Amino acid sequence: MTTHSLSMSLRNEQGGLARVVVLFSSRGVGVERLSLRPAGPGGLFLLDVEVALPPGRSPAQLVEQLRRLVDVREVRHTDEELELGA
Amino acid sequence: MDTTGAGALVKALEDVGCEVIFGMPGGAILPAYDPLLDSVKIRHVLVRHEQGAGHAAQGYAQATGRVGVCMATSGPGATNLVTPLADAYMDSVPVVAVTGQVARSVIGTDAFQEADIRSITLPITKHSFQVTDPADIPAVIAEAFALAASGRPGPVLVDLPKDVQAAPVTYTPAPPADRRRPAVSPVQVRKAAQLIATARRPVFYVGGGVIRSGAARALFQLATRTGIPVVTTLMARGAFPDSHPQHLGMPGMHGTVPAVAALQRSDLLIALGTRFDDRVTGSLPHFAPDAAVVHADIDPAEISKNRRADVPIVGDCRDVIAALNAVVTATADLTSWWEYLNGLRTSFPLGYDWPADGALAPQHVIERLSTIAGPEAIYTSGVGQHQMWAAQYVKYERPASFINSGGLGTMGFAVPAAMGAQVGAPDRVVWAIDGDGCFQMTNQELTTCAIEGIPIKVAIINNGNLGMVRQWQNLFYGGRYSHTRLNTHNRLPDFVKLADAMGCAGLRCSDRSEVDAVITEAMAVRDRPVVVDFVVGQDAQVWPMVAAGTGNDEIMAARGIRPLFDEEDE
Repeated sequence: MTTHSLSMSLRNEQGGLARVVVLFSSRGVGVERLSLRPAGPGGLFLLDVEVALPPGRSPAQLVEQLRRLVDVREVRHTDEELELGA
Repeated sequence: MDTTGAGALVKALEDVGCEVIFGMPGGAILPAYDPLLDSVKIRHVLVRHEQGAGHAAQGYAQATGRVGVCMATSGPGATNLVTPLADAYMDSVPVVAVTGQVARSVIGTDAFQEADIRSITLPITKHSFQVTDPADIPAVIAEAFALAASGRPGPVLVDLPKDVQAAPVTYTPAPPADRRRPAVSPVQVRKAAQLIATARRPVFYVGGGVIRSGAARALFQLATRTGIPVVTTLMARGAFPDSHPQHLGMPGMHGTVPAVAALQRSDLLIALGTRFDDRVTGSLPHFAPDAAVVHADIDPAEISKNRRADVPIVGDCRDVIAALNAVVTATADLTSWWEYLNGLRTSFPLGYDWPADGALAPQHVIERLSTIAGPEAIYTSGVGQHQMWAAQYVKYERPASFINSGGLGTMGFAVPAAMGAQVGAPDRVVWAIDGDGCFQMTNQELTTCAIEGIPIKVAIINNGNLGMVRQWQNLFYGGRYSHTRLNTHNRLPDFVKLADAMGCAGLRCSDRSEVDAVITEAMAVRDRPVVVDFVVGQDAQVWPMVAAGTGNDEIMAARGIRPLFDEEDE
């Protein structure tokens, strides 16, 4: 398992958070820390999450899977050793 | 226009071009069905089970390239749509499911026929909406259609509480959806073209994305200009003509020896709209060990998921292939590559033995069906041995002529998918190639077809067993046939009588000499659905085969014959 920090901008109406959490669960990703808070106008929330990835899974791919979600407006890696786009 | 939520729903569906809904009414969707009765633009096909509605919407979508629509009530009506939604998600089929929901005031109280379908379908939909304000309905329907059809297509759910459907509202048309596609990186395309120019053993590894994006014509141009071999996956059968000499057939667990070898021995995979599924790659560490990979897909999450791409290209296959066509000029000399592949094609053609006991060979039935019905027909299949034979022995010449359940592997897909395909393509002959196990899961929709004037044709490849499971029991469980015998050879049920009871023509064939005549007789039935019970031997097996979990080099052309493995040993 490797641990990674992600930060996303989320539209949290109608179960937006649930969609993110179910994606983690469906893809075998562990959630070690999670915080959600309102951020700015337009009903957007900021979701910071620390996830544990099974061996062989890349955080870059998880980011792409999160980007498929309509409610996720933006995803960023926040830990520095990550090689985004590698 | 003053109306109700339900009126707005029907108007919004008309405005986005919906011409048919496969559905079944019930308590919580009743308000929506009232204005539907008056719609002259939308045909409603009343199914016998909501699962049939979902697969019919998939069949319609795949036959037409448009969004398929299904409708169901809350609770069990909605949960019966779960399998088709999961299927559409796996195979990237654009479908919109509209479900009734209990009234807003009782959501979350375990009300009668309440199920939280939005949560249930979270991991198997692109997105799901629950509309809480009737004024939002036009915009939600427009967005649902745009989402289902754009990018990587897929299913979208719209859940409508009953009181939202009943509430008065003024209809305001939604603005037209944004239909832009992502720009293809010219840098990546040039890198791909450079690899293509120098590769000695390149192969086009073509997936269902080429069909979904309407890129078959562009692919034909690129392939014939370069002379590079082509393989088409289960979801891409028909994306490149089977009759073309550059086509090596289907790769994967039951692929042809030359198609599997083309991937394994390749030095460059040009993967187009495909996702390196385990049924294609076999054991990943042993897959195409010497190949560089160009991977083009509309969904960036698929690129480098199972196999690292050297040149990732994000984009719609139409755009990517057009861009490649503009820059690819030369290729290396492929003569020795073709000599190798043609040698395998000659030594290991697709073929089968006739059963020693004189039983009918299932492969022969499907070959004759293909010859008599021809490439202009649409073929659907369920899942199992008959599906693999339908992939191997029908000759596909055009995209969207083979509609099956690839990713999810849903038994029972064939009949309702054929129903939807026939509604979408009324002028084509539609054959559902089905198994006796699959057929018993969803055949109730034949009644729907008989009543609605949807004259599909069903070929039951009746081997009396859950054939693919039996094959695995034969190969991997020491021939212990645990619970795979269906007794359909004992006419339980009698498929001819069953067809008759459902308003269809019923025919039976168990002898080689009768196959052509029976197919011709079935082709002549145009006023109602027809079911042919082809009674075939129970011991026929699907070959070639790469056993699950092994590397593709261990492909067996037939039991114990390993053409690629042996070659390496020597």
